[in-house]
Amino acid sequence: MNAGINGNEAVVRKRQGSDKARRQRAVFLFLAVAPSLLGYFLFTLYPNVMSVYYSLLDWDGLTGATYVGFDNYVNMVKDQFVWRALYHNLLYMIVVPALIVFISLLLAYLLNNKSYRENSIYKVIYFFTNVLSTVVIALLWSFIFDGSFGLLNGMLELFGLNMNDFYWLGDSRTAFWALVLPMVWGGVGLYVVIFINAISAIPKSLYEAAVLEGARPMTILFRITIPLIRGVIRVCVVFVILGSIKGFEVIMILTNGGPEGSTDVIGLYMFNLAFGKEYHNYGYASAIGMFLFVILVGAKLIIDKCFPEENVEF
Amino acid sequence: MAERRTLMDGVWRVLLLLWAISIIFPVIWILYQSFRTNAAFFQDIWALPTELRWGNYSKAWNDYNIGKSFANTLYYVGVSLVLGTFLTTLNAYALTRMNFRGRKLIWGLIMLSLFLPGINALVPQYILMKSLHLTNSLTGLVILDSFGENVFFLMLLGGFMSSLPRDLEESAFMDGASIFQMFWRIIVPLSTPGIVTVAIFKFLGLYNNFLGPFIYLGDPAKYTIGVNMYQANMKMQYTSDWVTMFAGVMIVMVPSIIFYVIFQRRIMEGATMGAMKG
Repeated sequence: MNAGINGNEAVVRKRQGSDKARRQRAVFLFLAVAPSLLGYFLFTLYPNVMSVYYSLLDWDGLTGATYVGFDNYVNMVKDQFVWRALYHNLLYMIVVPALIVFISLLLAYLLNNKSYRENSIYKVIYFFTNVLSTVVIALLWSFIFDGSFGLLNGMLELFGLNMNDFYWLGDSRTAFWALVLPMVWGGVGLYVVIFINAISAIPKSLYEAAVLEGARPMTILFRITIPLIRGVIRVCVVFVILGSIKGFEVIMILTNGGPEGSTDVIGLYMFNLAFGKEYHNYGYASAIGMFLFVILVGAKLIIDKCFPEENVEF
Repeated sequence: MAERRTLMDGVWRVLLLLWAISIIFPVIWILYQSFRTNAAFFQDIWALPTELRWGNYSKAWNDYNIGKSFANTLYYVGVSLVLGTFLTTLNAYALTRMNFRGRKLIWGLIMLSLFLPGINALVPQYILMKSLHLTNSLTGLVILDSFGENVFFLMLLGGFMSSLPRDLEESAFMDGASIFQMFWRIIVPLSTPGIVTVAIFKFLGLYNNFLGPFIYLGDPAKYTIGVNMYQANMKMQYTSDWVTMFAGVMIVMVPSIIFYVIFQRRIMEGATMGAMKG
């Protein structure tokens, strides 16, 4: 009898305890999930949804907005600056990823497959550009490209080439290509490290077998190394391509699209429409933003389709 | 096994060296030019300094108001880092180690962010921040950058947490610990390596963030260090005070360099992980 009462009490107490525990669990869960999720709704999802609506408005941010339907999109198609910017994007999208992937693959291969004494320090140096901010990278390169006191012209002069204070970023013929350098320079380090890790995961026995068969280094590179890290290369290419479509900070700081629009890209064009010095056009900027959104998602889908993911097994 | 050295090896070594020089040399050049006078610099951009003019550094510090912008950066980065890392840790724990209704739905929503490039949301985000009176405010930026979901961080930390033994919570509850105690005394200490990696990347992202502060901070007294140097460089086109600018850039680079030296190995490991998951 006694034991029974005690047992019941224990059950009641346990249930009370678990009630309390359940309440605590609910509070904890709420505190853990809600702040981040709310922030995500408010600062990410809501603006993304609103950007569709804003793209249908004529709005300078000061006076009231008027609904104009698809006018912004019609104007966009007619806007030659949009097409010029897109053409620049397309060029950067081809040149920058190609250079970054080629250079970082070569450097990674050399660092991994050659045992030069200085290799370990190189890896650390190469990655250094990836911890620098875009502003610092851009400022460094503005010092390099300066016409009168820049490093590049100074270097050329050492080799007997007098550039007569040629401003690389001030001339519409050279500015576009000059900007490729900071983009590549700032990006290579990360991919060197990624490729080194991928290459060193390839079993040594494969290389040894190839060497025994008398394969030359170039054959090994193209027949063993590259095919086996194809998956990693693919991810990196997607990364750099998408980054080069939406990235514009380096360009903004170094040339802000000039001279004569020769370095304008779509992201920067949109940014200046929305936040530039002269006038603001939120509706039009949003329409271009939506266009960019479609391009980026499209590019992602096309890449996924054309280069399906393959898993390589060793 | 000794490798045979051929002529090609010489070429490769020069190539590797050239890339390293392209990174080191501009930094060294700016460093030593930052100790010279403008007159001497304009005369010869290669010559080494004849004396160490630390005056350039104090001039940069005062002219560009670097002290103030460092304080702003410290506030923005510090608070966002602590708050953001704390929230991410809580969030990662709940989303990977707790079962509750709607968890799958939340993961789905978070995964959606991989398809959102973000650039089209800049304008609505700005309007929203303005209507919440969070523009031109460092606290506003902190709020914007601390609350939210980040797939990379959640995967990194969540992956780490789900590798912890399953019955950790069970035995803690048996000992009478509340869920808060259990989280704080057991999960957080055991996840420290993962939390540190997340914090490192948050720090890099925040310290190097340019676009956010550039859009949202209009008042020069609130500039972070990146925006400050950008504006200083804009002005330099008229003042031509190169050596002071060099000194300023060196000052801004110091935290990055120190940070890199301390966390170099972790940064490299984490960067690889991030790329493979993204």
